[in-house]
Amino acid sequence: MTQQEKIGRFEEQISPHLKSAYNLAKWLTRSHEDAEDIVQEAFLRAFSAFEGFRGEDAKPWLLTIVRNSSMTLLKRNRNTRATLGFEESLQDQSEHPPDPEEILIMSCDRQQVRQALEQLPLDFREAIVLREMEGLSYKEISTTLGVPLGTVMSRLSRGRDWLRRILSTPTPVKREGAGL
Amino acid sequence: MNCDNSRVYLPAYLDDELGVAESLLVQKHLFRCEDCRRTLDQQQALRTALRDPDLAARPSADFSKRLQAAVRQAAKEEARSQRPSWLETMRFGSFRWIPAAIALVLTVALGWLFVISRMRTSQDQLIARAVLADHIRSLQANHLVDVPSSDRHTVKPWFQGKLDFSPPVPDLSELGWTLIGGRLDYLDGRPVAALIYKRRMHNINVFLWPNHGPADDAIRQEDAQGYQILHWNGAETTYWVVSDLNSAELLQLGRALRGH
Repeated sequence: MTQQEKIGRFEEQISPHLKSAYNLAKWLTRSHEDAEDIVQEAFLRAFSAFEGFRGEDAKPWLLTIVRNSSMTLLKRNRNTRATLGFEESLQDQSEHPPDPEEILIMSCDRQQVRQALEQLPLDFREAIVLREMEGLSYKEISTTLGVPLGTVMSRLSRGRDWLRRILSTPTPVKREGAGL
Repeated sequence: MNCDNSRVYLPAYLDDELGVAESLLVQKHLFRCEDCRRTLDQQQALRTALRDPDLAARPSADFSKRLQAAVRQAAKEEARSQRPSWLETMRFGSFRWIPAAIALVLTVALGWLFVISRMRTSQDQLIARAVLADHIRSLQANHLVDVPSSDRHTVKPWFQGKLDFSPPVPDLSELGWTLIGGRLDYLDGRPVAALIYKRRMHNINVFLWPNHGPADDAIRQEDAQGYQILHWNGAETTYWVVSDLNSAELLQLGRALRGH
């Protein structure tokens, strides 16, 4: 493969997934600047590793690189920025799945959904983004995150419960009733 | 299927990740159970909200351009660095590096041996100089012998407890070499035995200590400042013989000592 052919193939197979790569990086880092840095680094790494790419599905392949680059950056930042305290304090909530009886109204206002997703603990957030926004299969998510299939399912399930919980308003009647 | 099972299966059902059989079971249950239908509706609503295209983050057109330029730049640099470097021409897979490696190892080994042998020689020269100095000092300081005796049965036991080895003390009087005594000396960084023989008016110092190196019986002869020095490495003992006696006679003593 000549260098010209390599660029041609790369731009044909990998570049179309730029939107997905940026979306994942943005949701993982919650920062526009970090996301651009990560995507650029991931694209360069993808290009130099492109000879080893055997034409599997390009999107999960690229997203795996983006995800790994993101994790490297997040780990580096964890030492300088205390971003995780907030998430960890909220994580407990996901341990208690919402009671379907309790939830009557679920808001689907875009701004609220965005905020809810931003608050979601990282493990759940990445699984949800890969599944709901990028449409990866359980198996592809499992490969991308490097965790077993069962973990993917449980993270998706707990992440969704968590989102439904903060997007829903419990009925006042139920609350008062519980107080009596 | 009951509600507990159904709750477990619902997300995968929604994600289309269930097998046909399980999907049918979930469908059957949903048909009967309103609660689970509501849960499914909520999950469906959440999914719709999350799949809102406007929720996804979009890269700017400017970034796309910058990224494309960066990749092409990297491609150029890669092409430049792919010109075969000396390292790559010796790629392990090609095995062309093996003769070069062997040559290198041989060169280093030969060079090492050469250096070692030179060091060995220069060390022998150092000892020879010390042997001569010791010989001259033993005559000047009037300290030729610590144990004056022509009896080997007196000289040999005297070294006991003074050295970590027992030096051979041959009686060579029948060959015309008179033992006049023994002395403790210090050579080559260790205490050594010195035997003193005499022929006519000539004193002969015989220095000896255990040989830990390879044996080399050939007697090497050196002429230094009018003195004769003999040296050989016996199987067990290293010998240095020094005297102002003529070389032919001294060689006879050397052979006699070596014979013992």
